[in-house]
Amino acid sequence: MEKNKSHIENETYLAQWIAGDITDAELKNIVSESDYLAYLKTRKSFEVLEALDQPLEVSFEKIQEKISKRNKTKIIRLKRYWAVSVAASIILFFGLFSMFSSSKTFVETSFSEQKTITLLDGSEVVVNAKSKLTYNEETWAENREVTLDGEAFFKVKKGSTFKVKTTNGTITVLGTQFNVNSNQDFFEVICYEGKVQVNQGSENHLLTQSKSLRKINGNPLEQWNTNTENPTWITGENSFKSVPLKYVIFALEKQYQTKFDVSMIDVKMIFTGSFSSNDLEVALLSVFKTMRIDYYKNDKNEYVLRHSK
Amino acid sequence: MPEDRTQICKPEVFEKIFSTYAKDLKRYIFFKTQDMDLAEDILQETFIKLWDNCNAVTFSKVKSYLYTVATNIFLNHIKHHKVKMVYKKNYVKTSTNESPEFIMIEKEFLEKIENTIRSLPPLQREVFLLNRIEKKKYKEIAVMLDISVKAVEKRMHLALIVIRQEIGNV
Repeated sequence: MEKNKSHIENETYLAQWIAGDITDAELKNIVSESDYLAYLKTRKSFEVLEALDQPLEVSFEKIQEKISKRNKTKIIRLKRYWAVSVAASIILFFGLFSMFSSSKTFVETSFSEQKTITLLDGSEVVVNAKSKLTYNEETWAENREVTLDGEAFFKVKKGSTFKVKTTNGTITVLGTQFNVNSNQDFFEVICYEGKVQVNQGSENHLLTQSKSLRKINGNPLEQWNTNTENPTWITGENSFKSVPLKYVIFALEKQYQTKFDVSMIDVKMIFTGSFSSNDLEVALLSVFKTMRIDYYKNDKNEYVLRHSK
Repeated sequence: MPEDRTQICKPEVFEKIFSTYAKDLKRYIFFKTQDMDLAEDILQETFIKLWDNCNAVTFSKVKSYLYTVATNIFLNHIKHHKVKMVYKKNYVKTSTNESPEFIMIEKEFLEKIENTIRSLPPLQREVFLLNRIEKKKYKEIAVMLDISVKAVEKRMHLALIVIRQEIGNV
């Protein structure tokens, strides 16, 4: 008897039962009837709790599936008017097709390519290498608006508001000449003539002639004066003024379709200067010589950069 | 008022409503049906009905709408399938000495269990949740916590005894 008692104190039969190692019938022999019922109910509660705790994404998917399936049956019910529905859908199809096909115009440049385009109102845009410009021809008369990813120089004819949208901010003008460079987290606007308004987040900035504005990687906005009449990249020269090396290398990659291994250098170094858009060797020399950085090509055709000793 | 009538018809609003209310609603239906699969069916049917009537339901009334619809679907279900009869038959079984196949889980009982689990001593609760909710084997828990399997089993055993004491007679 004594032995039996200590045996039970050391027992873990409930743990084994809930894990399924001991059957219900065996448990029934160990515990009292009311305990047994209580444990059964407790176990059932655990199952319920677990089931109620399951994420319901699957249910939501099933609901959507049922909704879309049922919508299909509704269409089948319209069979009586099939001629009408066929005609309607043809009209709709072509209507939508013509709407979408003509509405958006894309201009895209590839590596080391520049494109000059004239917009419907006579405004001129020069798009720098590896950039994308989108605008809507249909609504151009009411809404002069282009979307830009990359760098471009704008000569805007006077008229209604002209907007350039980028992921970094929106530039609003009336009639002027300005350059926009919006690459990843680098954002720069230079005004060459007239007035330019830049909306950047909640901030508004008004740039007058030969004023520039720049925001790099979440840092505060910088403003400075420029003295050139056109962006230098138009004439085959990419210029930078106090720009982290990272963005200069990014521009080189876009211009020459090359890759750089920057793992061994400090890309935060500040670069002021320019590189040629026509000759890679000259460009590499002019950027990296001045920064005291050596470069050589590896087997993957990438340029590996390293600080000179 | 931003909550206009058409809002619920927007898929993202509909999804938001689902994620806000679905879990509680399913729980509510379960206590009525005592059947997880049936609760799931009614839950889906309820939200499909909401989608059908998304123009007629105002955003501020959506919660009571869901509960009313769910209750009605449940009552219709009883009417159709005479679930009541099944209930009675099963209920008799629980009061006999036979192993009960059908156990009613009432709302209050489940809440009691949840509260008890929450108030378990930390060591026991840890083992309990790992085993029951995360479905870990005692062996895995032992490795995770760096204790013996026996110690894990002991904690689980004690946790069950504590729960048993807390719930009293059922």
